[in-house]
Order: sequence, then structure tokens, then C-alpha cells
Amino acid sequence: MSEIPLPHSAKRVVPWWLLRHETMLALILLVALIVLGYLNNRFLTLDNLLNQGRLTTEVGLIALPMTFIIITGGIDLSVGSIVGLCAILLGYSWKVFGFPLPLAICFSLLVGAAAGFLNGIVITRVKVPPLIMTIATLALYRGLAEGISQARSVRGYPEWFYFIGQDNLFGVPAQLWLLLISIVVAAIVLDRTTFGRTLYAIGNNETAARFSGLPVDRVKLIIYTLSGFMAGLSACVLVSRVTTTRSDMGMGYELDVIAAVVLGGTSIFGGVGTIWGTVVGLAMIQLLKNGLALTGVKGDATIVVIGTVLILSTLVASSLQRRREGV
Amino acid sequence: MTTDLHSETPATPLLSVRTVEKSFPGVRALSGVSFDAVRGEVHALLGENGAGKSTLIKIVSGVFPPDRGEVLVDGKPVDLARPDDARRAGIATIYQELLLFPELTVAENIFMGHAPRANLRRIDWRAMHEKTNALLASLEIHDLQADRVVGSLSVGNRQRVEILRALSQDARILIMDEPTAALTEYDVTRLFDIVRKLKARGVAVIYISHRLDEIFAIADRVTVLRDGAHVATKRVADTDAAELVQLMVGRRIESLFPKIAVSIGKPVLEVKDLERRPLTRSVSLTVRAGEIVGLAGLVGSGRSELAQTIFGVTPADNGEIRITGQKVDIRSPAQARSLGVAYVPEDRGTQGLVRPMTVRENFSLAALGKVAFGGFIDRGAERKLAGDGVRRFAVKASSIEQIAGKLSGGNQQKIVLGKWLANAPKLLILDEPTRGIDVGAKAEIHRLMGELAAQGLAILMISSELPEVLGMSDRVLVMREGRIVAEFSREEATQESIGAAMMGSHENAEEAA
Repeated sequence: MSEIPLPHSAKRVVPWWLLRHETMLALILLVALIVLGYLNNRFLTLDNLLNQGRLTTEVGLIALPMTFIIITGGIDLSVGSIVGLCAILLGYSWKVFGFPLPLAICFSLLVGAAAGFLNGIVITRVKVPPLIMTIATLALYRGLAEGISQARSVRGYPEWFYFIGQDNLFGVPAQLWLLLISIVVAAIVLDRTTFGRTLYAIGNNETAARFSGLPVDRVKLIIYTLSGFMAGLSACVLVSRVTTTRSDMGMGYELDVIAAVVLGGTSIFGGVGTIWGTVVGLAMIQLLKNGLALTGVKGDATIVVIGTVLILSTLVASSLQRRREGV
Repeated sequence: MTTDLHSETPATPLLSVRTVEKSFPGVRALSGVSFDAVRGEVHALLGENGAGKSTLIKIVSGVFPPDRGEVLVDGKPVDLARPDDARRAGIATIYQELLLFPELTVAENIFMGHAPRANLRRIDWRAMHEKTNALLASLEIHDLQADRVVGSLSVGNRQRVEILRALSQDARILIMDEPTAALTEYDVTRLFDIVRKLKARGVAVIYISHRLDEIFAIADRVTVLRDGAHVATKRVADTDAAELVQLMVGRRIESLFPKIAVSIGKPVLEVKDLERRPLTRSVSLTVRAGEIVGLAGLVGSGRSELAQTIFGVTPADNGEIRITGQKVDIRSPAQARSLGVAYVPEDRGTQGLVRPMTVRENFSLAALGKVAFGGFIDRGAERKLAGDGVRRFAVKASSIEQIAGKLSGGNQQKIVLGKWLANAPKLLILDEPTRGIDVGAKAEIHRLMGELAAQGLAILMISSELPEVLGMSDRVLVMREGRIVAEFSREEATQESIGAAMMGSHENAEEAA
């Protein structure tokens, strides 16, 4: 039990920011961009990149609260099903209940938030592990969506509704603005506020966070509710983009979202992660998919590449972790 | 009667431990302990928490090897590198937490790993049941069936299954670590019956317990350990409770503790009939401004539970808490904090510190409200808070951005203490404030406690270290089984009186005297 301060900067040859997961990932992303751009002249065009931004918004909106949740050591697998449920309720309440469309949008967002709140309340009060609870609601919400829709789709929305999903604002896809604003807000909240600090504290040591008087349960309830709400928002954007409502919407989103978050360096064990990492992770997955498709790689081969990238990034992350801990 | 009884024991003891030493990083757990047990003897091991009993047992049962010294069985040295080696040498250990498979039957548990085999290496179920029944019969246990599922049994019966398992492996040396801790009185009597039967068969039983009355009821000899050293081995018939308590705690109090004489003010904490079952039972106490109240008791006596009930981690079911005269109903640590209550928990690593976070982040964790405005953390204010804390408590860290978990135990403890003092509390509850930290840091924390009390802070200090309790406290309360059973003023308090109250051997001690 020596009291000698550890030699802190002695071993450091590489600057610290270069060793960060986000930086490494951004560099890999850059290399991938250059290679894919070299292989295909349609890839590195502004139009294509903006269009990819449009396509990634739905997953991106959910990935932000998912970053919060995974930082606390939790997980939310029900987001894809909430997207489906919200999409169905948006169409159903407009078409069948006869709600005006703005009210139907609010209703579906509210249902999304309520679905997340239910996850949160059971996780914090009944102490059901998030994995179990959200696997259950993954099935439950999807089942509700299918039951309500009865396999019928809803189409024929008024023209103005397609703005968010299909139009541009100042030359940039409208929904991309929504995503950009959400990213900035989420990044500031995570980095600068007591709320963000509490998320990290919970993920690193929930007991100590509790013993320090931090509102652990309240914060958890908020992030699961937020996750449901953002899934609802994502559903609106999705319906607006594809102009129709079906109960299988958002199927498998949870895996895309979690892949982006984890690829971005957020530790699945909690305590570590940034919004910037998640953004780079999102970009990486979307651009790899697109770039490979444009280069003529078949769909299933693309999935193989993405899986490989995920594994590699996990290896990099764990070796960085070991380095930081000086083992 | 001298402490050396070797001349009276038969030529070769069944088990003999010779000058065993064992160190862990930073701690000397055993320093040259010798100990033996003969056939048909119940030999009790006695000592305070941390005296080295557990380490000694673990060496004998092959959990880890000693640094120096040797273990002999039947006079022959044995190499106990792994638990399996101990089993083969005929040594079986029954730990406090029973190691059974709750989903399996009594017979399956007993013969786990050495089931009788038929041809083709199949398990011979008939033989297994017959052998189980024979074992049951040999100990005259009639209310246990071989095919019962262990998970459905009472604690007492599960323990019997463990004993049977040991016997099925032909154990000749049986170590029991606080076997009665979770038993009802009836089960204790039955356990003693079984122990007597084992004795009659020539098994040597090593019996560890905190309960002196049990030692007098069942043991033949008793060995007392203190601070990792052998203090005495006595025949139970030749000693009494008072002497054993004195042997256990009989350190001289170092003049390490800088108790400053402080004028004691108004009550800060008043607790009346506080209830939170099972370990907080009708507790009443008062702590005044400037006063250090020591809370002594054995592990499991309910001291930490009481602290956590006051602090709102496990809110009280019943009773009254007043903070500076105001009646309060504390439901969460956040609420306790806003009322001016601070709690430095017992387990630094899991409850006190967020180890992977930086010194700065740990310092501000309980005082985020102080460095944040409208929910936004003012980084300058946070750095200042942490910097001031590091200076005030002389935390030895390379910078406030160092990861807290990499500091030494003493420095970690200073951070936990500092993070709470950043809130300027009125009442400070310290749970084992100096456990596992080196002497220098310990003295600093004691000095700090004295200063804080002098500034008018009310301090409730839980400690298992009697010299610390005696050295630091203005008043000493003793807890046992969830109740406060004794109170001593600084002048009245002695190691013997507190020790006796802790063990509940008050009456025994007086009778013996």
C-alpha cells in the first residue's frame, strides 16, 4: 500500500486523444470512405451522403437514448417494437379514430413515451433486469401492433406530412436536421450536466451512486421513457418517408441501434461511452452498407463485413481498455 | 495452567499446524501460528474479526497454501495445495454459506463427485440410497429422507447434509465455521448431539464460534488468536468467559488517538424506537454536536443496517428520527443528504467510491448541486472543489484527473470522507472508517475526526476495532442482534466490558468472576 503517486505520463508515447476509441473509429471510417470512394465514383457525392443521412435518421434518433441506457449498464431491446406500435397507432388513430393528423402524431409519441415508461417503471420498481423486461416488451409491443393493425396498412396521408421524411430544408434532408439537433442536445446533456454525470456514475457503480444520494431510479425511469419517446419520433419519420404504415415497421431496429452504440465505443458493461462515438458508429454502419452495395457487394456479404467490423472494434476497444488500466 | 498442553495430548495429534505464516498484500494475516487437534476432541478457535481464524481454516482446508510453516496429519507433513488435497487427507470444512446443490436430492448432494458406480461407470442409485440411509442411521437422524430435494430443507437439515457429505468422504477432521450462526435453538441442540457422536467416533472437530456459551457447552480445548498470532490454548474446564474475552481483546491501547476535549452541544441526531427488521430492532440513541459516539458490536449485529436505515438506504418501518430537534422521515440518501446527514460506508470499493471515475468526479459526486447551476456542471467550480479537497485531506494523487481506484486504500477513504464533507453536514456516520488502510492514513483520519468534532460536527462511528472505539469515542454504544444492549461513558468503557457486551456473555462473565 504505497503512497507514491503513480508515474502517470511516463509511458505515454502516443497522445491520449489518439488512443480514444472514437478517434480510432473516425480514422477507420475515413480510410473506409476513401477506399469506397476510390472504388465507386457515385459514393463520395454530396447527394449520396445526404441521402444516407436521411436513411440513418430513424436508427440514429433511437441510438441517442440507447447510448444513455447502455452507459448506465442497461439495455432496451423493445425499441424496434415501439417503432412498430407507434407507426400503427399513428395511422390507426388518424384513419380509424378520425384524429386530426397532428393530434395522431402527438398521440403516437405519447404512446411511445408510455411504452418506455412501462419498461422503466418495472425495471426500477420490480428490479427486473432490463434485458428480460425489454425482451418481454419486444414481444408484447410487436404483438399489440400486429393485433391492432390486423395486417392492414394505412396510406394516403396528406401531402404536408411527407415534408419531414422526404423534403429538404436548406438543401439538407429535413429529418437530418432533427437528428443533428438531437445529437447536439444529447451530447451536451451527457457531457455537461449532472444528469449525464449521474448516468456514468450509475454505470460505473450503481451502489455508490445511490449511497451518494444521486436519484438513480428517477434517472433510469427518464432514460427508458426517453427511449420510448424517441422510438415514437423515429416511427413518425419512418412513416413519412415510406408513406405507409405497417405493423412490421422497425423490425430488427434494436440490433442496428445497439450495434451502432457499441461500435461507437460505449461499453456494454456500462460506465463508458460518448454521443460522438455513437454518431461515428452510426455513420460507419450506414456508409459501409451503402458503399459496399454501390460497389456491387451482395446484401448478405455486407452483413458479414459489418459483423467483422463490430468484432474488430470490440477487440480494439478491449485492448485500449487494458492499456488504460495499465495491465 | 500454562498455555502449553502438548505434554498432555497423545503422542501424535491427528492434525497439527506448525508455525504457519501467511501474508496478503499489505496485511500480515498469520504470524507463526501453531495449533493441533487430537482424535475425539472438539477444539474451539476464538478471536475477534480479523484475528486470523478464517485464514487458518483456509490453509488447513487447502484454499491457499501458507507462506511458511507446515500442516501435519497423523504426524506426517501433507501438501495442501488444493481443496481436493485436503479432502484426501481426511479434512472436511463446513463453511457458513453451505455449499449444496438446492435442486438435487439429499443422496445426490452427499455423493456429489464420488457416487457409487455400477458397471459401465453408471451411477449405482440403489447403493447410493442404501449408503445414505446407513449414514443417516449412524447419526440417528430420522427426519431426513435420502430422496428429499435439498432446497426444501431447513437450514439445520441442510447443515446435517453437509456433515453427512463430509462423513461419506471418510473425513477424520471436521472444521465448522460458525455453524450455529443461522440456526434455531432446537437445531443448535441437535447439532451438538451430532458433534458429540462424531467425537465418540474419534473425529477431531475444529469449532469456530463467537458465542462463548457454545464453546463452554461443546469444546474440550480452546485456542485464542489475536492479530494473526497465537495467544493461548486452554482447556475449557480450566478457563472462564472473562478470561477468554480478555485474551481475545487484550491489546494495550496505543496512545495513537488524538481525542480533543470538546464542549458537547445540542443533540443533532435523536433516534427513538427505530425499527427495520430483521437487524434494526427498537433502537434509540442520541448524538450531540461535537460528540463522537462509538458503535461497537460483532459483524452481523446490525450496526451498518442501523446506519443505512438512518441514512435512508433502507428506510425505517417504524420509529422516530429527529435531526437538530426536527422530526424527519428519511426515505432516500438524497433526502438524508439535504438534511445534513453524511454516511461514509463500510465497503469503500462498492459503496463509497466510483473507482473507475476520476478523483475530481468522485469529490463532486455527492455535492453536484454545489458545483452545478441549472443542471449544468460548472467545471471550474468542480475542479476547485476537488483541488481544495485534495489539499485539505492531503490526498496523494498525481492530479485530480487520476482514476480514483488506482489510489491506495487510505487515499480512497480520504476521498470518500472528503466528498461528504463538501456538503458541510451536521451529522457524520462513519462505518469502519479505517478498515484496511495503513497506519499513517489511519492516524490522519483519526486526527481529522477530532478536528471535525471540535468544529461541532456530530459523529457516529461504527468500528470493529476496539482500541479505535475506546480511543476516539466520547460514548460507546454496543449492539447485538439488532439492539443496543449497552452504553458506556468514555471513563467506564474498557475492552473487557465492551467485549463482554458484544458477545452477550455479560452474565457468564459475572458468574465466573
